[in-house]
Amino acid sequence: MDAQLLISGVIFGLSIGSIYFLMAIGLSLCFGLMRIISLDQLLYYAIGAYLTYSISLATGSVWLGVLGGLVVAGIAAFAVERLLFRRIYERELTFSMITSFGILIGGIGVIKFLWGVVPRPVPVPIEQQVAILGTDVPVYRLVIVGLAMLVYVGIWLFLNRTITGKAIRAGIEDVEHVEGLGINVSRLFTITFIIAGSLSGLAGGLHAPLIMVDPTMGLEVLAFVFMVVIIGGLGSIKGTLISAFMIGQVVSIGSLIYAPLAQMAPFAIMLLVLLVKPTGLYGSAQLRR
Amino acid sequence: MVNAFQWWRGPLLAFALLAASRVLLPLPFVIEVVIFSVYTIGCSFLVGRVGFISFGQPAYLALGAYATAFYLSYFGTNPFIGIALGVLGGLVVSCIVGPLFVRLRSDYFALVNLALAVIVFYLMQKVLAGITHGDNGLWFLTNIASTPVLDVSRPDGFFIFAFLVALAVWVLYKYLDDSVFGACCLATKINEDKLEFLGYSNFRIRLLAFAIANTTTALAGAMYAVYLGFVSPEMSSPSRAADPVIVTILGGAGTLYGPIVGAFAYTGMKDVISKLIGNWELFIGFLLVFIMLAGERGIWGTLQPWLEKLLTRKSAPIATAEPPADSREKRD
Repeated sequence: MDAQLLISGVIFGLSIGSIYFLMAIGLSLCFGLMRIISLDQLLYYAIGAYLTYSISLATGSVWLGVLGGLVVAGIAAFAVERLLFRRIYERELTFSMITSFGILIGGIGVIKFLWGVVPRPVPVPIEQQVAILGTDVPVYRLVIVGLAMLVYVGIWLFLNRTITGKAIRAGIEDVEHVEGLGINVSRLFTITFIIAGSLSGLAGGLHAPLIMVDPTMGLEVLAFVFMVVIIGGLGSIKGTLISAFMIGQVVSIGSLIYAPLAQMAPFAIMLLVLLVKPTGLYGSAQLRR
Repeated sequence: MVNAFQWWRGPLLAFALLAASRVLLPLPFVIEVVIFSVYTIGCSFLVGRVGFISFGQPAYLALGAYATAFYLSYFGTNPFIGIALGVLGGLVVSCIVGPLFVRLRSDYFALVNLALAVIVFYLMQKVLAGITHGDNGLWFLTNIASTPVLDVSRPDGFFIFAFLVALAVWVLYKYLDDSVFGACCLATKINEDKLEFLGYSNFRIRLLAFAIANTTTALAGAMYAVYLGFVSPEMSSPSRAADPVIVTILGGAGTLYGPIVGAFAYTGMKDVISKLIGNWELFIGFLLVFIMLAGERGIWGTLQPWLEKLLTRKSAPIATAEPPADSREKRD
């Protein structure tokens, strides 16, 4: 394999890994704090992408679209959390999984109703290429990686430096204890859910120019996002970051070597990790309910 | 004698009703209901009895269907051998992935299973496209030979076959529900530590339950393949991953007749609503959310206590809180 192909493959892997990371972080945070598996993150991803499409069509600016997608996805997440998840926090984990799958399927129906089933293209906001070691690399992909790193740093600062973030971290350890300290846990849950939803929306908006936007786009990335979360360990941000970039590279480099490898190799890695450590790389063993 | 009658009464009555519906309703609909209920009972057993929520059932459905399809397209013509191979395929795969999967916590189990379904989808759509013909699917309707006693290559013959298979499956599951194994499954759902303390192995019970449930699902896949004479990767596509779970919840998870009631209601609604409005997913999604919020006992779970009261004409036994709608009439 020649070096140029390898370099563009690595950049491609980094950008796709960043998208996975932004989506998986929502699933991971929701699981860590609320002990729910929120499949509807995939819906906010699609909402973000569709908003990006519509706003960029109306105003001509993709970045405005991404911002709009982020905000609307956050609002949708807020509504869903207030109306539905509120009622099921106390229930079993599987319960939330089925309910959120219902939200996802219903939401896909709404999207089909609003935008139709035809896949929509979104223009790439930055057309320029930059030369890295003699290889032309699209700047937009580098911007995605940069934004994902910014989000990681932001989340890290939020969880470690702000009082709300510290409360969320404490909540991941022991919710009842936090509640006992007089912290409004229900508001904490809402904040976490909105963050998760907006990040999924951001992922959708950023991914939209690279792919076609269609109603079932959430279901297409579902397997990869799941594998990222499983390998990283549910509830761990650091694990999610590492496994997202790992899966991104495997998908990208794997498809250069032998196309079907892109789909099969992440699964093989997941099985391998689970064989060694059933809770994922950084998942903690005592997260039981 | 009386006990035997009581034991057989439930399945026979249910299947007599199903046979009667053959007269009133169009044949493809009834066949669809029968196969779908076989497809769902494995999921229902896993969700309601073992406490595993399995979003990966389509994987085993597709594996069973493809095993049958490969045999019928490339090797032989006998549909019964095809179905047997489909079942065998499901059994082999669930025995390979089972030991890995059942060790996991229920949350990881659900995620891993869904991932498996998507992987099987890609496997059939892209990786093995040389022999599965990718999205075009495998067509082998003309390869199915007509069999002497019961001609399953014709729809009415196939209905009788599917009906008998479903009856056998139900008798098996009723037997499992009443056996020590069924009780152990329930115990591993409710309190695994206690079960371990009693000297049972959680791992073995779960593995056995996993293998049985997924083999049943593979059987449903094999029956679909023979009935339709066609398989495509669409079977295990992620957008259909929820079908068995929806039917399970709709009918009542863990109940014996829930899958039949659920399959009947689901297939019926799908037919009626997709004729009225095109947006089927919207409806099914909100239906699912509604059922989950309204009480998760499903149609059969709600009807069962009421029916039992009506049939026995006695004061109803005190409803047990755990698990929902699981008060078996046989407690002797």
